[in-house]
Formats: sequence, C-alpha cells, structure tokens
Amino acid sequence: MGKGRYLVRRLVYIVFVFFIISILMFFIYKSMPGDPVRMMLGDVSQSMKPDAYQALYDRTYLQLGLDKPLVVQYFIWIGNMLTGNFGYSTQYKRDVIEVIGTPMLNTLMLNAVSMLVVFAISIPLGIATAVRKNGVFDKFIQVITIVGYSLPSFIIALLLIFAFAVKIPIFPISGVRSPGFSGNGFEMFLDTAWHMALPAIVMSISGIGSITRYVRAEMIDVLRMDYIKTARAKGLKEKTVIYVHAFRNALIPIVTIATAWVVALFGGSVVIESVFLWPGLGKMLIDGLMQRDFSIVLTMQMFYVILALAGNVIMDIAYTIVDPRVRLEN
Amino acid sequence: MKNATKIASLLLAGTMAVSLAACGGQETVTNDAAADSSASSTEAATSEEAAAEETSTRPTEPSGQLVIGSTTQVINEFYDTAFSNSATNYAMYDLIHGGDTVVYTKEGEFAYNDTVLASHEETDNEDGSKTYTMTINDGLVWSDGSPITAKDYVFAMLLENSPTMIEIGYPGANMNVYVGYEEYNEGATDTFAGVHLIDDMTFSLTVKAEELPYHYDISYAIARPRPMAVIAPGCDVEDTENGARITGDFTSELLEETINNIDTGYRYNPQVTCGPYLFAGFDEAAQEATLKVNPKYNGDYRGVKPVIETLVVRTVSSDTMVNELEAGSVDLLFQSSGADTINAGLDLVEEGIAADTTYYRNGYGKIQFDCSVFPTDSAAVRQAIAYCLDRNEFARQYSGGYAAVVNAAYGLAQVEYTENADWLAENLNSYEVNVDTAKELLEADGWNLNADGTPYSGTGTRYKDVDGTLQPLVITWCNSEGNPVSDLLATMLPTNMAEAGMELKATTTDFATLQDCINHAGETTYNMYNLATGFATANSPWYYYSTDEMWMRAGYNSNWIVDQELADASGAMKNIPYEDTEAWMEAWRNYIKVWNEKMPDIPLYSDEYFDFYSTKLHGWEATAIWGWERALLDAWVSE
Repeated sequence: MGKGRYLVRRLVYIVFVFFIISILMFFIYKSMPGDPVRMMLGDVSQSMKPDAYQALYDRTYLQLGLDKPLVVQYFIWIGNMLTGNFGYSTQYKRDVIEVIGTPMLNTLMLNAVSMLVVFAISIPLGIATAVRKNGVFDKFIQVITIVGYSLPSFIIALLLIFAFAVKIPIFPISGVRSPGFSGNGFEMFLDTAWHMALPAIVMSISGIGSITRYVRAEMIDVLRMDYIKTARAKGLKEKTVIYVHAFRNALIPIVTIATAWVVALFGGSVVIESVFLWPGLGKMLIDGLMQRDFSIVLTMQMFYVILALAGNVIMDIAYTIVDPRVRLEN
Repeated sequence: MKNATKIASLLLAGTMAVSLAACGGQETVTNDAAADSSASSTEAATSEEAAAEETSTRPTEPSGQLVIGSTTQVINEFYDTAFSNSATNYAMYDLIHGGDTVVYTKEGEFAYNDTVLASHEETDNEDGSKTYTMTINDGLVWSDGSPITAKDYVFAMLLENSPTMIEIGYPGANMNVYVGYEEYNEGATDTFAGVHLIDDMTFSLTVKAEELPYHYDISYAIARPRPMAVIAPGCDVEDTENGARITGDFTSELLEETINNIDTGYRYNPQVTCGPYLFAGFDEAAQEATLKVNPKYNGDYRGVKPVIETLVVRTVSSDTMVNELEAGSVDLLFQSSGADTINAGLDLVEEGIAADTTYYRNGYGKIQFDCSVFPTDSAAVRQAIAYCLDRNEFARQYSGGYAAVVNAAYGLAQVEYTENADWLAENLNSYEVNVDTAKELLEADGWNLNADGTPYSGTGTRYKDVDGTLQPLVITWCNSEGNPVSDLLATMLPTNMAEAGMELKATTTDFATLQDCINHAGETTYNMYNLATGFATANSPWYYYSTDEMWMRAGYNSNWIVDQELADASGAMKNIPYEDTEAWMEAWRNYIKVWNEKMPDIPLYSDEYFDFYSTKLHGWEATAIWGWERALLDAWVSE
C-alpha cells in the first residue's frame, strides 16, 4: 500500500469519525438542562408584560428552529456547518462567524509565541541536562522544571503579575493593548507584544518544565545505544554525536508532543485568558457553555475535532520525515 | 510582611474570582453588619480624606482621559439593552444616546426633562386612555449638526415596535401600553394609533385605558429619538388620523445594512447620536470602547455637560483590578464588592494612591423559596428555616463587614428604606436565630410525627400527616457551583435545621440549570435557591406577588407564591398617584409588613459598594441610583 492510498484511507476514516463525533456532540449538548432561549433573552422579561414576553419567547424559539425534532435540527445544523454557516450565537446575537475570528486570532497569537519559547528553550535545555546527567546543572534544572510544571498556572500568573507588573512595573497587568492606544501598525505590534509578554511567559513555564524533562529522558535513552558508542569510537565530535546521531533518534516521541502542541495552538486557556484578560477561545467556549450558546460551542468543538484528526495524520507524516524506517503502511 | 499580605490577598481574591467566573453565578457581595443601624446616614458618603483633599476646580472646557474598569465584559454592542444584556454596555448606551423626555433624577424620582422639552401636557381622554403631548425645544441637534425634531422621536417609536425591526433580530421594544400596539406590531396596519406626529416639534403618545391608573404613569411619557436620516435614509414619518407611520422604502434589507452591518451599522458603530459622549471606537481584540465628549450636547436635565474629554471603558479582572488602579492602567473601579477587593482598595486610599466613594446597593442577597412546592408552600416552614439561620453572623462572615442585614424586600439605597428606617426597626420581625421558636412553628404547622406515625420524639426528621400519607420535612435546595454564599449556608444551616427536625438536601448545578428549575421549565423543582436581586427604578412589587400564573411563568413572581394577602398589599400600591408620597409610603409599609410575615425569601444581606478611583478624578458623586455613567457628567479629571 502506497503513501497516497494510506492518506485516502485516513481521509475516509476522518470523515467517518467526524460525523460520528458530530452526532454525539450535538445530542449531548442539546440534552443539557438549561433553556437557550431564556438565557438569550436574559432580563428582557423584566421589562415587558408576561404576554409580550411569551410572544417574544415563542418567536425566538421558532427562529432558532428549536420547535423541530432533534434529528431534523441535527441535519439542518450539519448541513449549514458543511456549507460554512456556523449558526447564530444566542449570546452575542450575531452570526458565529462574526464573533469567533478575533478570539481565535488572540489565542493563536499567544499560543504560537509561547510554543516557540517553549521549544526554543526546552529542547536545548533537555539535551544539555541529558548530556550532563546527574551533574549539578542537571539536578538544578530537574528541580526547577518540577516546580515549573507542578505549580498551577493561575498561581504563577498572579505571582508574576505581582512581581513584574505591580512591584517592578515593567509589564502591564492585563489586556491586549494599552487603554486608549493610538499609533501606527508597528507601534501597535510592539504594544501588543509588550502586553503578551507575561501571559506568554506563564504559558511557557509549565511547557518548558514538562518538555525539558521529556527531551532529557529520551536523550538519555538514546545516548545509551550502541550506535552512539560506535559514533564516538569513530572519533566523531561530541556535538555531532549528540545533535546528529542522538537527537534525531530521540525526535520521534518529541514529534508526538510537538504535533499535539500545534493542534493545541487553537485551544485557549480559560485561566490565562481570565487572569490576563486576553480574550480568546478558552473563555469563549466556557461562556458559550454557561450561556447554552450551542452554535458557538458546537462550532468550536467540531473545529477541535478536525484539528485533532488532522493532527494525527500530520504526526504520521512527520514520523516518516524524522525516521525513514517508518513507513505509513505500517 | 505587607507584601506577603498583598500576595496572599491577591491569590485569595483570584481563587474566589475564578471559582465565581466558572459558575457564572452570583456576583461577589459583601456586608457591613456594623453599619446596619447607621445605613441611612452613610449612603453616598464620599471619604472624608478625599473630600479634604478636593482642591481641584472643575474646568470649563473638556479635557483629560478617564479609563473605567468594568468586571462585566465590554462588548461591541451599542444599540440598546434589547441586543445585549451587559450592564456596562447599557451604561455606555446611556452615555452615547440622549434626548430623553423623562429622566430618573439624582434624587431618585421620575421627572420631565426640561432641557429637552419646551412643554408637556397630560390629557385624560373620554375612553379612559391618556395622551401625553410633548413639544421639544428648538436647538437640539444630532452630533452631525442636523436638528433633532419630533419626527426622530416618532420614528424611534415606530421603528422599534415594527415587525420589520423584529425581522432583523431585534426583540422589539414591546411598548404594548400604547393604543394600537398590537395591530402595528403584528403588521395588521402600518400606522401606530397611539403615536402621533403633531408638528415638527410636537408629538403625542396615548396610553390604553387598561394600563391606568398606574403609580409610575409618568414613565409612559419616556421617549428617546433615533436619527431617521441615518437609520432609514430615504424614509419619512407622516401622521394620519389612525396614527403615525413610516413612509418610503422601509424594509428589513435596509435595516440589515443600516443597523446590522458589522462595520457600519448603527448597532456597532453609532456615528450620529445626541448623548453626552460620542462613540469613538471599539477595539474587538482588547474589548475596549472609547468615547469622546459630544461638543453639541445640550446638557442633562439639569443642564450639566461633561468635562472629561475621553472615556476608555475596558474589561478588568476582579483578581487584579485593584492592582490595575494602583498601576494607573485604570482610573475608576465602580461598584466594587467583596471584603478582599474592598480591603485592597482601602489600602490604596490609605496610601493616598486612590480615593473612594461608598454607597449601599439597591438590592439584596437572599434565600428564595419556591412557595408552590411542598413543604415550603407553608409560611410556617419558611419562617422556621429563617429562625434556623443566624443572619447577622452569616453577613459578618460572608462579607467581612461590608453589608447589612435586611428584614424584607428592600435595599438600603431605596428611598422607602431611608424614609422608614425607624419604623422598620420597630415593626418588622428580625427573625433572630432561635431553634426553639422554629420547633414551635413546625409543631403548630402539624410537623409532630415520627416516620412510624408516633408522636415526634424530639430528634430526627419530623413528619406530617398529609391527606393520610406521612410526609417527611425535607427541604431541597439548589445552588450554583463555586458560590461562596452557598458554601457558607451549607455550613451554617444544616445543623440548626436538623435540630429543629428538618432535613436539608443540597444540589449544586450551573446557573442555566438553576434558572430552569426556578422557572419550572424542567422536570425538577426545589424548595429553595440562593440568589441576589436588584430593584428596578420603577420597582413594581404588584407584579412580583401577583397570583396570576402568567406573572409566575414570566419570571416576575419567581417565588410562585399564591397569597392573596400579599398580592393585595402589593397590589394596593399600583394605583397610587406618583405625587402622593404619603399614601405610597403607607402602602409600602403595609406591604413590607405582610412580606415580612409571609417570608417568600429570607433576605441575607444588602451590600455596601465602593467606587475606587484615581486621585486625578474629582467631583465623584455616584450612588446606587445615580450610577457611574451619570456621575461622570459632574466629575472632572486633573492631569
């Protein structure tokens, strides 16, 4: 079986899983207690007579298509979804497509920066600690990384805010831009980057902790292999042994993690977004759930499903790139 | 040590805020039990320190910028409350739009707006209806310089009650008190019989006979203009003998473009307005709105015009908002509550970094009973539960000292409370904790049996013979997750209730589910819920305790209580003329007395709110009834 055939098979599998998950998601969310119409209308009931409110309620119920059987609602929803109509947000009273773009960009921006920071620091650090296994440097980093990924990001966030935004005010406490900011595009970029610093650091800390330890463990395993001894016996430079022979062989498990991180680029963190007031997808999803805004919730969930399924395929392809012995048919 | 305290308070505040955010439920609230006896004298008390340092003088020309922090998310929605439930957005809507014919004054009364109206007349018609005829002043202009005319007022009434507006997703203004509303709203006719355009500066509104008399009948004369030339270009308003109507190509396609267009629509980008401030922009990524002073504003009902040039309204996190104030990234935090936040804010005041204004909330936190569900359909059971809770201790523990206990359905900011504080203290049952009294009430109510039908032994759950069946005294309680009020109630109530012979069964859920249960929309109902409530400017208890089921289904009578005495006591207030303060107060006292006996809720606390602000802000006089959006008009900043 060739690579193309494998990919076609995976594509069919993805489509199948997508529809199964869409059915499950739709019916699970729709069976949640809580009335989306009442949540949508909010306090309007307190400013109108009961008969007028009932008429408004009934009209809204019909407009949202909630009078139809669930099965029919599913087919209407999935049909719309597949044609790019993600529905109407009962919370924002706008089409989902109009409200989801900015939070997605915010989340993507923050996650991309923190991912770059995490990999730029943790991979060299993991290799360095593996090479200096059980040395003072290694033990020091071990302690630091354990603290890094053990502390809840919420605590780290508040501590860093207190230290670097309140006591030594070098970063802003929260927000995406300075209040009332005005300036050109480059100035806006700098201002946003300045605001992004603390949340990106907080997001990076736990990632650096876990990935450093992961890279270290993989490298230690690989460095014990016979081919490493052979390479050293051949008189290759230590750098070549580590970065060309050892690291490449340690890459496969790292690729698994890296792919998961790429998929997670679009996953928002409710805690970080709430503490730093960085409006992203995490808070939007939670708010959507709380408000029974099923159009937003289902759109985001299905987006994550597609990302996860596509991520698996990308991961498989990446394996073949880092390790030529891996064949997709296997 | 001080730093350690600050870190600890920051972490604690953050933990609480995240748990509250997660539940999406009740707002953080605080109490001041000590202030109970002196509540009336502390309303709107600006801190003495701030007052003493008030040396700045109010500038004559607008200047400076004020950054306002809102814990409610600021969103891109500026049409009115119909599209958005956000209180902060509603306040901004009030700042951007203006020209109201009737206003709610700083003193807490409805009054005609003399800045807008040249004259007004109320005519009682032969058929029992009433017509409000209003002539607006010359010289009122929109922000683009074009004149505001009576057509703009009539247009707003026609627009927002039209079926065309509903087609674009607007819930409708639902002004069904006016003659001809139903026919117009349903599209049976294109004229609104109760709305007339008399001349360029005069229009009238006619209220149905069945809506009269009504205590707040002056509120029927409330009208606010919309710029017809912007929202419905090419359209016009004309008057007929059957009422006013919109002429021209008035279609949903037109309104989709002029109102709903995400870039240019009036809903998201209102460029022609007439309020004290103009919409200058909304930063979607930063969730921040910028408003600029309107140089063409004619002033509020007193003629006061704002002198703060720029307002930036941004979302803040309750975890860090006091730090934002300290760092200078916000200048004003309004209606702050919760001991941690207040204490952190007061630290800044003490250090001279900020100033504060404090006032009582126009509402209260409560245990709300469902009076249609056994056994809380019995007033004796509700009273017995009230006697099982030490409310003073609850308020003290919960609030850290920034609230007071109330004994009925009133808030400490209400005029009715301040006028009747002594009478309330003398005449209301304060339900001091007393388990023996709770037992006596339950005995008298028939809860005097054991599970096997023998006389109650004095321990365990009481039973009652109901139509030949033994029923246990089990109280089901639904609360929202991560709610500190629930947590405290869960530690304070069960022991005393068990001693009195009651069993408390708690269920924790999210707010949407809880709301379903309250509204009897799901399959499950509970005996009690813990919630908080605020009073509307036109507080109308006759709806909240109406025995008509439609008021229950609509969420007004959320206690689902059918009690004729309470309905009569509250209903008696509805027809009292607005000017007859004495009769109103007498009826209010009677209603409150009956309410206090029936106990549809157990009132828990009425908060003390704090506004914390930068010392550059001066002249800040906000209260519970004179919100921050109104207080801004008198205030100024010194840079």
